[in-house]
Amino acid sequence: MLLSLFVVNKAGGLIYQQNFSDTAAKLSSNDYLRLASTFHSIQAISRQLSPAHSRFGFGIERIETDTFVLQAFQSQTGVKFVVTATPETKNLKNFLRRLYELYTDYVLKNPFYELDMPIRCELWEVMLQLAAEEHQRSAS
Amino acid sequence: MELRRFTQSAPKTSNTTMSNSEIAKRNILDRPLTRNREELYLSTFSFLFAEAVQYLQTRVQQVSELEDKLNQLGYRVGQRALELLCFREKMNRREIRLVSILGLIRVQLWKFLFNKSADYLKKVTDREDEYYIEEEEPLVNRYISVPKDFGQLNCAAFMAGIIRGAMDSAGFTASVSAHYIHREEKSRWNAPVTIFMIRLDESVMNRERQWTS
Amino acid sequence: MSSSRASTWNKLGDAAYSKSEKVSADLVALTYGSFVREIIKDYEEPDQVNKELEKLGYNIGIRLIEDFLAKSGIGNCSSFEESAEIISRVAFKMFLGIRATVSNWNSEYNSCSIVFDENPLAEYVELPPEYTHSLLYSNILCGVIRGALEMVQIIVECQFVKDQLRGDDTNEIKIRFKEMLQEQVPWNDEE
Repeated sequence: MLLSLFVVNKAGGLIYQQNFSDTAAKLSSNDYLRLASTFHSIQAISRQLSPAHSRFGFGIERIETDTFVLQAFQSQTGVKFVVTATPETKNLKNFLRRLYELYTDYVLKNPFYELDMPIRCELWEVMLQLAAEEHQRSAS
Repeated sequence: MELRRFTQSAPKTSNTTMSNSEIAKRNILDRPLTRNREELYLSTFSFLFAEAVQYLQTRVQQVSELEDKLNQLGYRVGQRALELLCFREKMNRREIRLVSILGLIRVQLWKFLFNKSADYLKKVTDREDEYYIEEEEPLVNRYISVPKDFGQLNCAAFMAGIIRGAMDSAGFTASVSAHYIHREEKSRWNAPVTIFMIRLDESVMNRERQWTS
Repeated sequence: MSSSRASTWNKLGDAAYSKSEKVSADLVALTYGSFVREIIKDYEEPDQVNKELEKLGYNIGIRLIEDFLAKSGIGNCSSFEESAEIISRVAFKMFLGIRATVSNWNSEYNSCSIVFDENPLAEYVELPPEYTHSLLYSNILCGVIRGALEMVQIIVECQFVKDQLRGDDTNEIKIRFKEMLQEQVPWNDEE
């Protein structure tokens, strides 16, 4: 089951957050911002651990715990999509790829969206919801 | 910027007076107009259109001015699209009746530019000089979410301009505007549909009356 | 440039082009023409128009790169040399329906040209005499390339050096490599 989505810009700023489930943890907006920038830093640091340092390693892509998993996808430009889900949830990688495509369509091709700023686009919300429902069906 | 008229008898341009013979050699009139151009990736258009909206937005104070500028941007497209369409489809007959030109816009011009016919063409009840074209999901709005503070802005004002340009170049002066309306029963996600209101100029109506009498 | 990589890129370009949703090329050409007209009306001076077109292209490029990465199947662009090939073999095919070629590499391999014979933006266009030798009608492309590459940390300068609208035999955009941006490591600013 999908829990939460975070979209983080290349500077580590949270530009979108959405819960997919009532059971997802609810944090204060400050905590969401802090979480986004902390994860951004940890991911950048983790890239330095790569034995043959590569410009293209994403660093940490997945964190597993007893109660949830966190899966991250980062495009080469630095925008990051991070989703949390219950541990058994499948196909998270595909789900994140799908969200990246939706972002390029319904956010970046919207003339009223300013790059790196918080995402407030109605169609993105709609398509995101449809993608989440689609994922839920395919994974159950 | 000059887009050549697409009539076979188009006059030679001022090219001949230019020193650069290379340019004359590559005269646009020598290039085949009838060959079927390949289509392009929708994103190419969407990014271009989004940038045009942003560009125009920085030059206006009010939403209505933005709509006017989008309409004007479309007007030039409509004028040329109709010429190009008539040339391609070898339509030698000039449309002189209002219903014919409206039908041509709804079907042929729409297909030519948007790969589909417009959903509906209707006459406004009780109004002799008003028609509307309805489109559930206008191509230009595919990826666009208009923020609340832009009120009733519909970026399909660009397409309204295309209709106006095409009609004008066929001799049917009209004002055309794009509006969102709610038709709950049929749209996906309760999204509003777009209607293009076409209001004919008095001179056009007078001419029409002469035809019918 | 190994030929197998080149052919992989060609295939990726063809695939990205053929599977994508399409729009009329005439709509694109006419809309671009009308947009350029609007800019000429606002700026008048051809040099200013060229500059503005480049800037608008840059704004498109920094967004378009994500569409390219998300949908082309190109994982990453690692070097300037490789990027030039990817632009001409994959990106030109995907967004403009044409394949360009890379040529005129200098000996340091930090400058090259992207050459293309067909330009869907300039279809039906003929420049009036007062603009023939001053207006770079398709200058938006230079900006798109600069913006897109900047987002993958490659800083370049682009310039139209040949344009069929000016009577040249082909279209040529010269790209000069400036620098590769280094990733910011978060702890560096605390040192």
